[in-house]
Amino acid sequence: MEKDVKRTESSTIIRNIFVYLVSVLLALGIMAIVVLLFGFNVSKVLRTLLTSSFRTSFGFQETIKKTIPLIFTTFAFTLPFRIKFFNIGGWGQMLFGATIVTVVGLTILKSGITLPAYIMIPLLIIVGILAGGFFGLIAGSLTAKYNINPIISTIMLNFVGVQFLNFIATNPYFKDPLEGHPITLPLPKSATLGFFGGIPNSIIFAVISIFFVYILIKKTRLGYEINAIGYNLDAAKTYGINFPRIIILTFFIAGALGGLAGTFEVMNIHKKLVEGFASTSGAQYGTFGILTSLIVAGDPIGVPVAAFFMSVLLVGADALQRTMQVPVELVFLSQALIVLFIVIIRQRFERRV
Amino acid sequence: MSFINSFISQTIVYTVVYTLASLGIVVSGRAGIFNVASEGIMLASASSGFLTAYLTGNALFGFLAGSLMGAVFGLIIAFVHEKFKVNQFILGISLVILGTGLSDLLYKLIIGIKLTAPRAPATPLVKIPLISKIPVFSAFLTQDVIVYFMYAASILLWWFYYRTKLGLETRAIGESPKAADVVGVNVTKRRYLSTIIGSALIGIAGAYLPILITGTYTPDISAGRGFMAIGIAIFASWRPERAILGGFLFAAIEVIAFRLQVISQRIPYQFLLMLPFILVLVVMIIFNKQIEFPASVGKPYSRE
Repeated sequence: MEKDVKRTESSTIIRNIFVYLVSVLLALGIMAIVVLLFGFNVSKVLRTLLTSSFRTSFGFQETIKKTIPLIFTTFAFTLPFRIKFFNIGGWGQMLFGATIVTVVGLTILKSGITLPAYIMIPLLIIVGILAGGFFGLIAGSLTAKYNINPIISTIMLNFVGVQFLNFIATNPYFKDPLEGHPITLPLPKSATLGFFGGIPNSIIFAVISIFFVYILIKKTRLGYEINAIGYNLDAAKTYGINFPRIIILTFFIAGALGGLAGTFEVMNIHKKLVEGFASTSGAQYGTFGILTSLIVAGDPIGVPVAAFFMSVLLVGADALQRTMQVPVELVFLSQALIVLFIVIIRQRFERRV
Repeated sequence: MSFINSFISQTIVYTVVYTLASLGIVVSGRAGIFNVASEGIMLASASSGFLTAYLTGNALFGFLAGSLMGAVFGLIIAFVHEKFKVNQFILGISLVILGTGLSDLLYKLIIGIKLTAPRAPATPLVKIPLISKIPVFSAFLTQDVIVYFMYAASILLWWFYYRTKLGLETRAIGESPKAADVVGVNVTKRRYLSTIIGSALIGIAGAYLPILITGTYTPDISAGRGFMAIGIAIFASWRPERAILGGFLFAAIEVIAFRLQVISQRIPYQFLLMLPFILVLVVMIIFNKQIEFPASVGKPYSRE
């Protein structure tokens, strides 16, 4: 079997590139027609969409800023997807991570304790992992114990996460008295991460997460069991794999990764908690994490590439809205179409083989 | 008395949204298609329904457009699933995102940004003579046309699935498509029909929000109700007559949470807004043992 895998690997890559190219062209073609119907300059729209990330260093930095949380939320979907479960809760896990990190950071600040950065930063990262993981754990346990579809539980938890974030952001105890809009006090400086040439330092953790997930899936016992369940659940159960344990663990790790997306958004980008966070960038990363993961069909190595590509389109969408008044939703729609086409074409290939 | 009346009347209005959406999920599910795109369908229909009602000045055209938008989504689901055997959940989630994008896009392209939000045309209430004079009944029976449509749809669907041969056959597809196929039921055709009709029902639920509840369209107007409708359909064990009870229950909770917000400043309103979502999970844990699924819902079927 190992040999077969090697022999077909190069043809798989060519096939994948073909699938991606055709899907992107199809979706952009549809978008071009819509754009044309509404009287926009098509070539200018497409140029702005695809090149905004590369023309200026600001554009590139913005793209990386979006790629980092997207990598985390994509992994949050990817891991359970390997055992054929859907974690739609990347959004909620991210928000809960962001909220609890802010609560802990500000509580330390308010209690007058000053911790050095080398304690504060690891502490908050662990808090973010546990908070996101807790949301994942709830979904995993409900599936293991009551057979509740994680699609339902994670979606419900998303809305709990949104409201809890708004509760903290508007709470008088944490609120910044100088701000009119509901915003918490800024985190202490020792709790925040900096930038290196305009690139957020949290990129280091995004890279670590790629290695972590890769090693987890390819080299560990848990990864082996996850793959076995994904391949054939009944066979895996027959061979004595403890299914409830694996599903709970998988959802915990997925939730933790989702939680990190929010953790670094707070520690590196916003440095405080804003009430609208849930519906603006929060919702974007939650949703597009799912799409990004579907593009690479659960392959960890493809995740950063796909996340970068999606971020290019998101930055392009912002630029289009700003400079040409093209609604951002048009780009979101095209992104959903790209994924739909990829899924359909890939399925056709798989059925033929 | 007037308090109970106004409470029931407000609850019934929200019941329409939950019930029609979960009926739509039940109808698709009975033929084996798990319609997880409901939130996206509701949003797209809310926007297209509202725009049509606003532009034509007639609410009924709005509902027609909403159900049509739903039907188109249903057709896409059935076509992509039946033709390409794409996983229903992947398809559904992609369509949620597609529908969300489409809803705001349509509104922005057609209305643009206005200082005062355009309002949907008013819809008259229909009173059932005599019965609507009886105190509590009056709240149930002094409502808009769509409320009566919901009552009728729940009863008709129950009758269809449990009292007719066609309904029994359709339920058989949800349990075992192969068995249904063997006795000569056209599985593919029924799945298309069920998904299209189910999605059209979800579409009416979506259009109801801006046309009859808020009067204006706002982004993300369904606010998760399409997802909760999935929970209600499951909680109802995919039975139409239970879906309306589930719809009423969740509508009542939403209205209670809404009223508590006004009365009590003590409980942070965010926790009241969380309540319905937590309750979906609590209800599913409590009734875990009683819940029944059509055995093959969510699974593809091909003859070979």
